[in-house]
Amino acid sequence: MANMLIDVQATFLSLDSQYNILLAGCKTQAQRDVLAAQYAAAQQNYQRTLNATLTDDDAQVAALSTQLKSANLQVVQATAQLGNISKVINDITTAVSLGAQLVAMV
Amino acid sequence: MSLPVRSSASIFQIRTAIVAVFIGYLVLIAGCRTSEDAAAAATQMSATAKSLSDYYAALSIILSDTDQIYSLNEAMYSKPYSKESRQELKTTGAELAKRITLAADLSTLAGSFAKLTGSSSPADVAAAGNKLETEVDNLASYNASTGEQNAIKSALQLFVTAVQAHKEHEAAQAMDSLASGLSALFDKEADSWKSVDDVYVQLAATLAGNLVDQNAADNSAMLKPALDPFGLTPSAPAPDLNTKLATLTKQQISTRQAALVTSYSNATDAMSKSLHEMSQRIHMVATDKPMAFRLPPVTVATVEQWATQVLSY
Repeated sequence: MANMLIDVQATFLSLDSQYNILLAGCKTQAQRDVLAAQYAAAQQNYQRTLNATLTDDDAQVAALSTQLKSANLQVVQATAQLGNISKVINDITTAVSLGAQLVAMV
Repeated sequence: MSLPVRSSASIFQIRTAIVAVFIGYLVLIAGCRTSEDAAAAATQMSATAKSLSDYYAALSIILSDTDQIYSLNEAMYSKPYSKESRQELKTTGAELAKRITLAADLSTLAGSFAKLTGSSSPADVAAAGNKLETEVDNLASYNASTGEQNAIKSALQLFVTAVQAHKEHEAAQAMDSLASGLSALFDKEADSWKSVDDVYVQLAATLAGNLVDQNAADNSAMLKPALDPFGLTPSAPAPDLNTKLATLTKQQISTRQAALVTSYSNATDAMSKSLHEMSQRIHMVATDKPMAFRLPPVTVATVEQWATQVLSY
């Protein structure tokens, strides 16, 4: 596919750079129409081949997108869990403090 | 009724047991690398994610400019720009948008991972442990020695640091395959995106050359090196001056065309290296392999430079 892309790209760019000279050399409208049609086809072939190389990777792109979101969720949860440890200790501290107050009331 | 007051000895035993549990847990997860390796991976990840976003954003501009050149060529030189070609270009844009989303997701993930590696939890826990210590002392009518307090505080801090390293290790494992996958995707598609840049640069150069040939461009900009130092500007463009400068102007188009292609290639190489480095660092944290050197992140200044250049078009 990569070689095909290089070939259609070269054809299109070559025609693009020569287009004005070729157009000036056309003697009839029919010749001009053929040239225009060839240009349009070369441009379209290039764009289509380029897209074929990219859409080939659609499944890989979708899988990576899912993995990225899932990994982010895991990392966010891990950070929250770390933060929870100090929260748990603080909760215990509050409980102990309450216990101390209860003891004082006995 | 009063609660039995524990003896100093039994409280000491409880504290010792707590410390032992922490140390036991530390031994269990001792295989985890320190946070420093994870922080090095996070730094590389953040730098890479930003550059990847900039890289794809610049390509997006190039694609949009290509669309405009097609339209200009159609209007000025009757080069057809068919409905089918327009649709194909839109499809390319849609494919690029998917990569831009991937880069944005990578940035989000890099931010989350940086938060995890830069978490202040060990310090927070040590402070929380300190408060708990005071409360327990009050309850038990037993004042721990400074040595005991420091031991427990250090144990708590070590415990959470170890948990953090363990979490970083788990996070790196979750990111390992996707980091190498992103790197592989970038390398695999390099030729396709290079083609997008090559086509844009050559189409633009051809159009610029045509405009110079038709005397439709102001070539007096070529006089800047001579006039700028003296605060002078060229007079209104004269046809004969434009004609005299045409050859030089076309040489400049050719030189800059080559420079633009080289600049893109350098940016792509740098982007690829940065993605590989990111993948390698994440893999090391995921597999508990120590980093021999914690080098600063592989700089992607070349990518930034190229992206800035494209933005200035």
